[in-house]
Amino acid sequence: MIQERNLSIPGGLTGAVLGVAAELALEELTGMEVVGGLLAVIGAGFGLIRIDRRIYEATINLVNRVPVEPTSDYRDVLEQIDEMSIELPELRESFVKLIRAGIEAQRA
Amino acid sequence: MLGLNSLLKLFRKTFAPKVEGRGFLPRRYYLHRALEALDEDDIDEAVRMITLAGQDKKKSARWRMVCQQVIFRCRVLVSIHEKQMDQINTELEIFGKTEDLRNLYLRLQEVERKARDILKNYELRLLEQLSESTASVAQPS
Repeated sequence: MIQERNLSIPGGLTGAVLGVAAELALEELTGMEVVGGLLAVIGAGFGLIRIDRRIYEATINLVNRVPVEPTSDYRDVLEQIDEMSIELPELRESFVKLIRAGIEAQRA
Repeated sequence: MLGLNSLLKLFRKTFAPKVEGRGFLPRRYYLHRALEALDEDDIDEAVRMITLAGQDKKKSARWRMVCQQVIFRCRVLVSIHEKQMDQINTELEIFGKTEDLRNLYLRLQEVERKARDILKNYELRLLEQLSESTASVAQPS
């Protein structure tokens, strides 16, 4: 869906710092080192990749929230989406992929 | 993960709102906040977050994608307001016989028009930012 695959260093660092903070908080509460750096690693990964999933969900949500008249069929909806995504090339491409995936799923 | 999620939520509720306006936080934070605002149809906040996320000249593909999502939602909402204006117009012709009702319909129409104009303004602002990012991709300085 999104061509860019470079990872976010600030996002990863923020995740890692929050992970360390979570570990320290757990240590403080339990009195033991229970996770041994695991949360920092998970936090870093979380910061690096979570946004793509979120953007994907938002794209689906956008399609779902396009108002549909009771009398209109899927071609009308496609036309409507097409009109509204003028000058929005990446979003339009994502919509096309979503629609193709939906058609493929229906055929299967 | 429960501890991490709780910390993230705490961070977002306490510390982040105080400093986010300065644009210091990672771009992804602003994109997340823009998507949250978009889910709630808080377009004003979504535009603010997108603008903060795109402060530096180099705008990422993710930024462009979220920006386009907000523009798309603006257009959807504009179309809803325009339909409501048409509906009000029709009802005005049918039911707007008395002065009071007529004024009420005209006030409603004014509210719808204002909402539409605000959304169109947001759309134009974001389109401008988007075209700037396209230009910077096409002609790297």
